Amino acid sequence: MIWLVASALLFSIGAYGALTRRTAILVFLSIELMLNAAALSLISFSKLTGSLDAQVVVLFIIAIAAAEVAVGLGLIVAIFRRRETTSVDELRQLRG
Amino acid sequence: MQETILLPLIIALPLLGFVILGLFGKRIGEPTAGWLASLLVLGSFLLGLFLVLQGGARWALSEWLPGIPLSFNLDNLSGIMLMVVAGVGFLIHVWAIGYMHGDPGYSRFFSYFNLFIAAMLVLILGDSLPVVFIGWEGVGLASYLLIGFWYHERVNADSARKAFIVNRIGDLGFLLAMGLLWSMFGTLSISELVGKVEAGGYSFTTLTLAGFFLLIGAIGKSAQVPLMVWLPDAMAGPTPVSALIHAATMVTAGVYLLVRHAFMLHDDAFLSGLIVAIGLLTAIYGALCSLGQWDIKRIVAYTTLSQLGFMFVAVGVGAYWVAIFHIVTHAFFKALMFMTSGSVIHALGGEQDVRAMGGMRKYLPSTHLHGLVAAFASGGLVPLAGFWSKDAILAYSFEYGPWLWVLMLGASVLAALYSIRWYVLVFWGDYRGKEHPHESPPVMLWPNHILSVGALGVGFIGLPYVIDYENFISPFLKKAIGDFGHEKLPVLTEWVLIIVSAAVAITALWWGFRFFQQKMPQWYTHFQTWALNGFYADTLYNTLFVNPMKSLAEVLLGGDRGILTGFAGLGSLMGGLGNLLAKLETGALRFYLAGLLIALVLLVGWGVLR
Repeated sequence: MIWLVASALLFSIGAYGALTRRTAILVFLSIELMLNAAALSLISFSKLTGSLDAQVVVLFIIAIAAAEVAVGLGLIVAIFRRRETTSVDELRQLRG
Repeated sequence: MQETILLPLIIALPLLGFVILGLFGKRIGEPTAGWLASLLVLGSFLLGLFLVLQGGARWALSEWLPGIPLSFNLDNLSGIMLMVVAGVGFLIHVWAIGYMHGDPGYSRFFSYFNLFIAAMLVLILGDSLPVVFIGWEGVGLASYLLIGFWYHERVNADSARKAFIVNRIGDLGFLLAMGLLWSMFGTLSISELVGKVEAGGYSFTTLTLAGFFLLIGAIGKSAQVPLMVWLPDAMAGPTPVSALIHAATMVTAGVYLLVRHAFMLHDDAFLSGLIVAIGLLTAIYGALCSLGQWDIKRIVAYTTLSQLGFMFVAVGVGAYWVAIFHIVTHAFFKALMFMTSGSVIHALGGEQDVRAMGGMRKYLPSTHLHGLVAAFASGGLVPLAGFWSKDAILAYSFEYGPWLWVLMLGASVLAALYSIRWYVLVFWGDYRGKEHPHESPPVMLWPNHILSVGALGVGFIGLPYVIDYENFISPFLKKAIGDFGHEKLPVLTEWVLIIVSAAVAITALWWGFRFFQQKMPQWYTHFQTWALNGFYADTLYNTLFVNPMKSLAEVLLGGDRGILTGFAGLGSLMGGLGNLLAKLETGALRFYLAGLLIALVLLVGWGVLR
């Protein structure tokens, strides 16, 4: 149960960070926190029910997160090279 | 009767010409395109003649439509029609080589001409009614294309549309007749229908109704009252078109259709009476209108109406072979009349008003002779072709009822008058125009020479029995149509009828010859203003049908506009909503994220509280 609380805290911290930070790297980092909070909650559910299925899912999440980080960091580096900034408030060309 | 693949080949030859000239016409050019088209029609003619001499032919493709074979039948009736269509058609093709010389659409013209011949042959040779209908529509299409051949001028295109639309009414009748016959007998093959109608066991009223619908089809195609208004306007096409389609062949298709279905008509007093009435009305209406026209082609067009009325009367009184006989003689003298008119138009550089003609006998000696023969044959002078066929119609009319004979005699007096009026206005008096007339080239003279011989002599295949006890055409056709056993009139009566009709024709021709050279009296000019406008039939139809339809169309257009405005409003409303939603797309990443999180909280909250 304590792990679930920890997971909720982690998620809230991640959400707060994603909303308040302006640098793309830090926003990205906060999102990673939220993702891992979700993984943590899965593990704790796994402990509660005694089934290993959720742990398998977490292994998948870790693998996918690694790939996602590679792509995300690559994008941020590419944007920085072009714009010389990573502030998400300045990158708002995708207006409707 | 033999099964032979040569039969569809008759149709395939002109069809091939249509395809070749349609695809490569520009490269073939004149005069090769014209000669190619003519030779293909001649090929059809020779092939048809060969098969007729062998006693006819059949050919069928049984798996065509479920229950309906693609079948062709060349018997004596379709054989004679084929001779007329391909034979006279060939002469008109050759003549058109000269007439269409230098026209920018030269090969297009011959491609359409071959299409017409192919469609007409399908109509004639078809044994099952849907096949006939394909030909029926095909000739309508070719007629439409050729009337509007010079489509750059609006009036020509309008005439073409008028012809097509009026013909649709008749086509609807044909379709309804097919539907009725199918529901009654389960077959649409004419040769099978003959047996089934004779076998009996059906409602006679329904058969009358089917015959009535067929009659509507025939009325439309043969331009009878009340669907006659398209034929005079069809003269907007080139003159060879008028000669081939609107005089010699297509307009007789209605008569041919009725003769083909003689087995349905001959016992039916109502239908026969109706056909007689329509034919009589058309014969007199056409003749009166012709007397008032100034356009040379419209004069001849109305004479065609009148002669078609004669054919209908022949069908109505049950003289089916006479109707076909008149088609044959009419094809010769009316094609000749049109082509003579065409030669005059050609000589005067496109002038069509007879008031700017006159005196042509001095300038165009050969064409003058052709015109003389055409006028005499059409007016019924003994012993030219028109006399014998018209006399046969009169004799059968007498048998039907002496009153009909009197009326028909009146119609033939008018026929003599309009023929001689045409001849006098064009060839006698002094030349009233300005162009310098020149005689036509040999390629236009020779077809007219041959047609003149036909107009002089073709009547001898159908002499009355008092002169030639068994003439050629009557027993020949009875093999195909069936023998409906007419009593022969007594010898004396027959002779009296012949002499009266001959004397009346000569008197009318002579009187007309004198009358039309003078200045017209007051009553005639009065009559002429009425006749010139076809007794205001067009105006009547416009008031009764066309204008109400136009108003209805306007109302519907208004309704359409209303509906469309509604849809346009709906569209712009949706567009506005879309614009509102697009405002949410700010491009600010943290705004999106906040939205996602709020949605997450709401969804989870809803899930927990539920």
